[in-house]
Amino acid sequence: MIWAVILLTWEGAYRVIGWKAYQFPAPSHVLDSTLDMLNVRAYFGQPLHRGWPWRAKNQLPDERPRSPIYRSPLVIAQLVSGTRLVVGFSISILIGGMLGLLMWRWRGVDEFFGPLFLGMQTLPSVCWIPLAILTFGINESGILFVLVMGSCFAIAIALRDGLRTIPPVYQKAGLMLGAGGWRLYRYVLLPASLPAMTSSLRQGFSFAWRSLMGAELIFMVWNRGLGFLLHVGREFSDISQVIAVMAMMVIVGMIVDRWFFAALEKRVHARFGLQAAR
Amino acid sequence: MTIAEEEIRTGSPPPPADAPKEPVGRGRLVLDKIDKTFPGTQMAAVRQLSLTCEPGEFVVVVGPSGCGKSTLLNVAAGMLKPEGGRVLLDGRPINGPGPDRAVVFQDHGLFPWLTAGQNIEFGLKMSGMGKEQRRHRVEEALRMVHLSQSGRKLVHELSGGMRQRVAIARSLVMNPSVLLMDEPFAALDAQTRTLMHAQLQDLWVQTRKTILFVTHSVGEAVRLADRIIVLHAHPGRIRAEIAIELPHPRNFDSREIGELVHRVRREIEDEVNRVNAQMAEYWKPQTPDDLGGHLVDMGGGI
Repeated sequence: MIWAVILLTWEGAYRVIGWKAYQFPAPSHVLDSTLDMLNVRAYFGQPLHRGWPWRAKNQLPDERPRSPIYRSPLVIAQLVSGTRLVVGFSISILIGGMLGLLMWRWRGVDEFFGPLFLGMQTLPSVCWIPLAILTFGINESGILFVLVMGSCFAIAIALRDGLRTIPPVYQKAGLMLGAGGWRLYRYVLLPASLPAMTSSLRQGFSFAWRSLMGAELIFMVWNRGLGFLLHVGREFSDISQVIAVMAMMVIVGMIVDRWFFAALEKRVHARFGLQAAR
Repeated sequence: MTIAEEEIRTGSPPPPADAPKEPVGRGRLVLDKIDKTFPGTQMAAVRQLSLTCEPGEFVVVVGPSGCGKSTLLNVAAGMLKPEGGRVLLDGRPINGPGPDRAVVFQDHGLFPWLTAGQNIEFGLKMSGMGKEQRRHRVEEALRMVHLSQSGRKLVHELSGGMRQRVAIARSLVMNPSVLLMDEPFAALDAQTRTLMHAQLQDLWVQTRKTILFVTHSVGEAVRLADRIIVLHAHPGRIRAEIAIELPHPRNFDSREIGELVHRVRREIEDEVNRVNAQMAEYWKPQTPDDLGGHLVDMGGGI
């Protein structure tokens, strides 16, 4: 509701004052741009006229055939970025999870790597890009490398901290009930660490998504992700597209966080009787 | 054989759980000259402590906080390795935690990701018992602690007393030789605690397990124990042994219990005061006369 008011005010101010669309666009321009990336022609941003918003004013209709919506740049970009995210994040979970587990299990590993990883977290993930380009070249592996580097340390640290909060009594109880060796890990420590894991995944995802967007913005590879669309917008000075893509990044990030990770966290917390996640 | 034991054997009604006869001598727990010092402290938590729990005996260890009673229990459970001495269960040495010495923890230690029933089932599952048999045993255990209706509840949906009962059922379902209880009712309110005492006593009369029970509450000790061990703190040693020769099941409100509590409390009072003095927090309860005299003085100058 409050958002509707803000957007309407913005749009209204734009129409009344007459800002230039190429300096700072109105929501309607951003909407046009988003639809354009979906291969739908729309002219919400133009003043009201006959045929608004589906036909342009004083302009011959663009009759060039456009590919269907499912092959539009935005859909393709979502699919490409989504695939990269799934692959990269999986690798990141494996590596980060392993590091976190080692750091929790052996104090020496933690003392050696802990401060280093905390330091690495302060390094913005885009700073890995030059190294990735030189090491892997401008290709998919480079992008995945940036994504993994950007998120696996956060996962490791969060997992270690979470594992540390497991009450020692669970371990004692497990041993007392005859769960020794690997079974202690499988049946006691693994389920006991679920709240920690979901939180660390959630945090890891936001790191991964940010790193991926940064990497895609700079890596020019054949498969075009969301970051690439942002880059194109800048190249063509298409400020509406820039904002449209940025909004899209936020929306995707929010949806995955809310509908997937937060929902998962909530379920785990409900099971454990912990306070519901936010 | 003490008078109390005789009464149980011969008294009416006969304990129903004598039916599943345990092999003779099962559940004899021997702690032999245990030494335990925690790293970083000079003071021994436990020094040269020897204690034998006979099969079917209910032994309660009392003492001021920090006197090593939990240490003692953890050593018996195999959670802590003593520096010296040995722990024997039915003649076999112990080198680690195991289902033959089931522990009931102070904060229940139930797994929150499992339901009450699944918690009870956990140990059976680990021992490789078949599914059908497990279900049967869990139902039986739930009935034994009067929680037949709550098997599907999650741990956080149970009250404190129910959680402890599930924890006891989880231990008993393993059919351990010895039940080790570490202040299991300390976190409960007084009413629930009394109820738990009665239920635990019932369970014990039924199953005749050897129980080693640790508490700081003298009342609890007198209500439940065959034998009370008073520990001496810094270092932990046995200061006194008091046999409570009252028949089970007991009426907790009886005059004998009240008198015994009083007697035992006097015996350990010196010890508590000594420990408090060591911690420079000596405080002795004042008699009403002391307090009265103090009050008379108040405001005298007005």
